[in-house]
Amino acid sequence: MASYQLKINNKTYEVDADPQTPLLWVIRDEVGLTGTKYGCGIAQCGACTVHLNGNAVRSCSLPVSAVANQDITTIEGLSDDNSHPVQKAWLAVQAPQCGYCQSGQIMSASALLQRNPSPDDEAIDAAMSGNICRCGTYTRIRKAIHLASNEISNGSK
Amino acid sequence: MEANKINRRNFIRVTGLTGAFLAVGFDTLGFGGQPSTLKQLMPEDFIKGTPLNPFVTIAEDGTITMMAHIPELGQGIFQGLPAVIAEELEVSMDQVTIVKSSASRQYGRQSIGGSRSMRTQFMPMRQLGAGIKDLLIRAAAAQWNVEPSDCYAQEAKVINRKTKEEIGYGKLVKSASQLRVNDKAPLKSSTDFTIIGKATNRPDLVNKVNGQADYGIDAHTDGLLYATVAHCPTLQGDLTSYDADAAKSVDGVVDVMEIKRTVYGKENKGIAVVASSYFAALEGRKRLNPKWNNAAFSQVSTETLFDDMKGLAEEDGLKYFEKGDFKGSISDSETVLDATYELPYLAHSCMEPMNCTVHVREDNTVAVWASSQSPQLHRQIARDLGIPDAEAEEKIKIHMPFMGGGFGRRSMNDAFEECYQVSKALRKPVKLVWTREDDTTQGPFRQGTIHKFTAGIDGKKPKAMQTKMVSQAITTQGRDSGGRIPFEVMESINTHYDFEHLSVRFNEYRSQIPIHWWRSVFASTNGVAYEAFIDEMAVAAKQDPLAFRKQYLATEPRFVQVLERLEQESNWNKPLGPNEGKGVAIVESFGSIVAHALFLKKENGKVSIPRVVSVVDCGIYVNPDQVKAQTEGNVVFGLTAALKDPITFKNGAAQQANFDTYRMLRMNEAPRSIEVHLIDSEEAPGGVGEPGLPPIGAALLNAVHDLSGKRIRTLPLDIQSV
Repeated sequence: MASYQLKINNKTYEVDADPQTPLLWVIRDEVGLTGTKYGCGIAQCGACTVHLNGNAVRSCSLPVSAVANQDITTIEGLSDDNSHPVQKAWLAVQAPQCGYCQSGQIMSASALLQRNPSPDDEAIDAAMSGNICRCGTYTRIRKAIHLASNEISNGSK
Repeated sequence: MEANKINRRNFIRVTGLTGAFLAVGFDTLGFGGQPSTLKQLMPEDFIKGTPLNPFVTIAEDGTITMMAHIPELGQGIFQGLPAVIAEELEVSMDQVTIVKSSASRQYGRQSIGGSRSMRTQFMPMRQLGAGIKDLLIRAAAAQWNVEPSDCYAQEAKVINRKTKEEIGYGKLVKSASQLRVNDKAPLKSSTDFTIIGKATNRPDLVNKVNGQADYGIDAHTDGLLYATVAHCPTLQGDLTSYDADAAKSVDGVVDVMEIKRTVYGKENKGIAVVASSYFAALEGRKRLNPKWNNAAFSQVSTETLFDDMKGLAEEDGLKYFEKGDFKGSISDSETVLDATYELPYLAHSCMEPMNCTVHVREDNTVAVWASSQSPQLHRQIARDLGIPDAEAEEKIKIHMPFMGGGFGRRSMNDAFEECYQVSKALRKPVKLVWTREDDTTQGPFRQGTIHKFTAGIDGKKPKAMQTKMVSQAITTQGRDSGGRIPFEVMESINTHYDFEHLSVRFNEYRSQIPIHWWRSVFASTNGVAYEAFIDEMAVAAKQDPLAFRKQYLATEPRFVQVLERLEQESNWNKPLGPNEGKGVAIVESFGSIVAHALFLKKENGKVSIPRVVSVVDCGIYVNPDQVKAQTEGNVVFGLTAALKDPITFKNGAAQQANFDTYRMLRMNEAPRSIEVHLIDSEEAPGGVGEPGLPPIGAALLNAVHDLSGKRIRTLPLDIQSV
């Protein structure tokens, strides 16, 4: 066991954990932010996606010892009131079904739009194909990303 | 008592903002310091107002609360049934707060499957809403001293037709609750519907875009322990030895114990490792080094399973449907078609792996957080703990968190069974979570099937057709089928096709491989094979496959209507480019008819699915956007089954374990566009969660033939190889 300072959603948390513990379980069970989900444990499904210094990463495959004192954002840190353009677009097209994968989908999409505010379909495929949705909401997710992209572009004009 | 009141008020304020109930975390809230007097608070305990029945409560300030009593796994029933009540009650959806209920017999049956929730609850929930509205109108009429017929209800108010006076429901609820309910209160005419049939946003989605929705895997209580279970790779082998001490040597591991998991009467051994963190439990499990005796299963492989089934397909089998004289007519047919389709075993792969959280306390009170399609576990627990039936609901509290998918898998409560044993042994709260590898390898699986077809065609006329289906059955595992055809196995074999001679037969295969309800169940195999062979017949008879279906389903107007609509919406008759293909299929299942047209395109040597067009006749629909969402999902689910990995067996064990070897369809492979069109209908509601699935695999195979001339009869297929 070792002690780590984690910067999650602009708050600092002191946690005791085995250095090899995946960030996912620390976020969920030690910090108590359960929006980040377990799906596969081997970075294949994307349900555990969070932002590390602004980039989408799979928290199931990152040991907690590797991310201390870096900026981590989870789904709970995207906004306080569902006002992030991606969240708004997700609701506008009613994208989720069971919703379990959607935290990860939203974190991947928001990281994509951060670096490429106007992605075409190929860019969306490239950024989102690491996230599995077993309910099959892919067409709505694509629509929502375009919608969020439009809002971001209009907002910046 | 006072402390509890404060908690309660705070709780309502918080949940009032979110519109959905967070049913997690109340295990340890209570009054008194003694564990034996622990009051277990459930969602129902926080609702203010006068309950008019278990489903609807109205407070004096006008707040209307409805219980979502059917488990929500993505199908939208959380909002669907309250919408039906609201329609008859004359309240708009934004006047209603929906609260996820606990599992309790006061709600009647809460298990879900067979796309049945709306089908079975539509009329009872309408009647329930109408009955409450009738109570409120009578209460208002009494207050005004007029006849109920002088009053009507609108927007949560009763209005006096003559004086135009109005009273809000909140001011009527006390007196209304004293009246006797009229079980036959008149229902609205469907032409007056303002909610049913209109797209309504799902209130549960608000918390599904910000991480706040509570799934079973998110349950938390003070002092929670975490468990993982080492299962036998061949599902049913005997446990020979394991190293408990090695597992316990891991920092954080608190216990190691043998538990059982019951699958269709067979008890499978597992070794639970319990720890203060899930990571520690997994690390402990790695050191268990369990040895299993798998001898009884070493012969089971995919090859032997399918060879056996193909052998059975040569036998006559049991009669399901016979018309005319198939045997006599096939011999003098001009053309005879023979084809055998082989469909694989599959896993459910819910994104939320199987899990459960259970607290069996020292005083034999119990709390359960069950991600379950069959959450009413009281009786089973009460029997085990010797709790009298009358006390079961007081002592056993079962939360119904949201589920991260179900697809039939969560109708088996094996993760609960395992977790319950661990918690009962330790008398501590335990969360047991299966790994993805457990989830993929342990089954129970979607059945693998063999479909043998023979057809006789004279010129352009299909004269005779026979299908013989061979499969394990779900309901006869662990018992004899008595020479009868199990009820579930022939779903969606379309005997409406008007061929002069038609023969449908079944042969049951028995195997140790456990199988289970999998989204659309036998329609998921029958629909694919049957509609692909219908396509073979159409091509052999030199007819357009859509026109062929219209012609031979002409006696069934609903089928014809769906096909005609699909023809028009998909622009079916428009000629395609040289590197394009199209396929059609139509299947009835779970009370609804769905047809898909699927388009393929080959570009720079790469095959993609640019477009799927779907037409759904599900009778009266409540929320058209959710019918569309479920159909879009079924298209992707069915294409995953057709295009991605099968579950294969070697020496009795599943060969696929995680999403690297058991791959799912991803966004870049999914159809770029899925257009769903609904038939406006006054027919009784049909199912929606499954019927979109069965025809998509056939539409794909038929499109592959149209594009490439290749007739593929074994799934899955590699779309890039066509």
